[in-house]
Amino acid sequence: MKKLKTFGKKSEIISKALNNTDIESFRFWFQLSAFALLVYGGWFAINFADDLPTFACVYDEKRGAQCYLIGLQHQMATPWSAYLSGRGIGILVAFLTFFAWFILFNKAWCGYICPVGAIQDWITKLRIKLGIRYSEYSAPAFKGLKNIKFVLLALLILMPMSMGNSFFGLPKLSHEYAVPFCMICPGRTILPLFQGDFSQLAVDFSSQPKMILTSLGMIVTGLFLIGAFFKKRFFCFFCPMSAFHYIMKKAGLLKLTKDGSKCTRCGNCYRACDVGIREIADDIVSKDIVKDDCMMCFKCVAVCPEEKCLKVSFLGIPLYEATEEGFYKRMEGKTENDGQD
Amino acid sequence: MMDRIERQKKTTALHLAMEAKETLRRVESEFPDNPAAMQYFYDLYRERYAEDAPQAKSGRKVVGTMCVQVPDELIYAAGAVPLRLCNGSTTYDQIGASSMPSKACPLVKATVGMLEISSELYKDKLDAIVIPTTCDQKKKSAEMLIDMGYKVHIMEMPASKESDEARHYWQNSVKNFALMLQKLTGKKITRKSLKESVAKVSRAGREFRRLNNLAKNSPPLIFGKDVFMVTNAYFFDDIENWTAAVNKLNDELEERKSKGFKVAQSHAPRILFTGSPPIFPNMKVPVLLEQVGGVIVADEVCSSSRLLYDSVAFDEEALYDMVPAIADRYLKPCTCPCYTPNDDRKRKIEHMVKDFAADGVIYQAFSGCHLYEMEQKGINLRLEAMGVPMLYLETDYSPEDMGQLSTRVEAFIESIKTRKRRGK
Repeated sequence: MKKLKTFGKKSEIISKALNNTDIESFRFWFQLSAFALLVYGGWFAINFADDLPTFACVYDEKRGAQCYLIGLQHQMATPWSAYLSGRGIGILVAFLTFFAWFILFNKAWCGYICPVGAIQDWITKLRIKLGIRYSEYSAPAFKGLKNIKFVLLALLILMPMSMGNSFFGLPKLSHEYAVPFCMICPGRTILPLFQGDFSQLAVDFSSQPKMILTSLGMIVTGLFLIGAFFKKRFFCFFCPMSAFHYIMKKAGLLKLTKDGSKCTRCGNCYRACDVGIREIADDIVSKDIVKDDCMMCFKCVAVCPEEKCLKVSFLGIPLYEATEEGFYKRMEGKTENDGQD
Repeated sequence: MMDRIERQKKTTALHLAMEAKETLRRVESEFPDNPAAMQYFYDLYRERYAEDAPQAKSGRKVVGTMCVQVPDELIYAAGAVPLRLCNGSTTYDQIGASSMPSKACPLVKATVGMLEISSELYKDKLDAIVIPTTCDQKKKSAEMLIDMGYKVHIMEMPASKESDEARHYWQNSVKNFALMLQKLTGKKITRKSLKESVAKVSRAGREFRRLNNLAKNSPPLIFGKDVFMVTNAYFFDDIENWTAAVNKLNDELEERKSKGFKVAQSHAPRILFTGSPPIFPNMKVPVLLEQVGGVIVADEVCSSSRLLYDSVAFDEEALYDMVPAIADRYLKPCTCPCYTPNDDRKRKIEHMVKDFAADGVIYQAFSGCHLYEMEQKGINLRLEAMGVPMLYLETDYSPEDMGQLSTRVEAFIESIKTRKRRGK
């Protein structure tokens, strides 16, 4: 009994320490480490997984792991007849690997690990340093635009499928359209740059489809850089990986939940949210508050002043909870950090 | 004519001092076990009301504020000090009655009355008055004050706070207010000065929350009348002195807690106070309630928790993000009945009843305040569904209804006591 008591006391101290942490600086260092591992891992002979639910880009020669989407696009070009053969098993295993990795961190793959996400956060940091204001968009217009990510997800599956198979008797799509999403993904053009490899930053004129896709890729890269400068996580609104995550989020072991009865709708969380999820402040009914754009950065939890209103848990074990003390500590850190102006 | 006004001024000052003295006497000496740290606050009122001295001299510009939506952070950042003008004296209420409709809200009447009869004092004291467009009576009083010769800044506020459009509209008003302040003081609001003032107000808020949490304790460590005295002092006290004094009080209450000291038995009915704000010297309902055995453990009024509970949280350390963040803090969580819809207030009360383990709710509505009068029914329904009794009191600043109030409050407290006994 006494042991149990001291254990309870200890866990109380630990959770208090966790709840008081400055999650933003933790996230910054975590992202940096993840970036080093995923982008430079190859230098240390690390290649720890093939089907990660994040942009560990294959076009980066010295990567430390590999993104699931490229494999998926290759696999989807399999003819129907081959699905029941060994290749089918391969597809299944790849998906299960992806799924297993995914449920471990849920959408926090976006907020804490994705190198493309990290780059956008660094661009934001640069903007803030320069003292340039973020831009705001009309919410309804943007809402429609965000659905592009689901369209991209469908396309990155359907296009390869129509390479290996004929839909409705139509001719098969040219294999020159292979891995169409990779061709337009800013991860392909930008991440190799960190190895000094500029070769992806070009239009491929070898065939018409390649030219179309790589031109699109260049445009997307430009939009990515400009967009991310003025709007936080601009690209993530259109990311098919994020759409894929969202479909599977219920299975995630890491959870972000809200107790609406404790919410004052003060909107601190909405203000802090890099992807502008209004429901986080206004939805007082849903327990599961993870929306399609959520990247589980947990900034919302950090700025919530209501005891245990927002909560991060892993397999039901609370990891990070909103507390009054944590809120005031973090705000104090922000308002009393420097005297410079 | 001149003579009559002069005489009226003299009698007003006399009555005000008497009124304040009487309330202080009741608050201070009719209760046992006042925390020693409360002395600071009692003395503060004694000083403030010995003759009407709205605020200690600070050498800075003074901005009079009406309503909780005025962002103090901006006022401090511009190098001025806020002074909340909402008044609770029946003496001033009677003066205001001559220029306002007889059935108007006593709070507005008293405030207008104060600024009318003591106009020399307040015109000298106040460099500007800020009035957000909250209720009709506050709005129209702005025009009356302009006619009296005050410099009034009207902050346009949306009647609803749900949409992003409303939010942006208010953010713009707050920005305009900041520009007005800069003009008034001739001092630019900078990132640094704003950060400092946000920190200053946040420290005060943090102490309030600590007090709020200590008031949650069962058995109770402090009477609600004292909490009201503390929060009321925020209207006019120097913010840093106030924060230090509340800190001291909280330390004392923590000591009380560890020693098991209590101001009432743990079975004393725990009351949540909501509705029109008790503002010194109008403490009649809280004092009455606690004299007959109830304890106010929490409140949902704009002179106390609604004023101090919420805190600014900005994301980027730059004016373009901090000023809108300040605007949001004064709009989004605010449960003022001037907003429609105002389900947030119902939810807040519901949550507080549970959180503070309240046995009942006292709902004070000043006769003439249609907003509180109209929200009464909805809140009563919500509480009924929870099985929590509510006493609705329509009252004003005059001492005439004391007898009637005391009968009703006593009966309410007795009925809760009976319920609690049966429950056991």
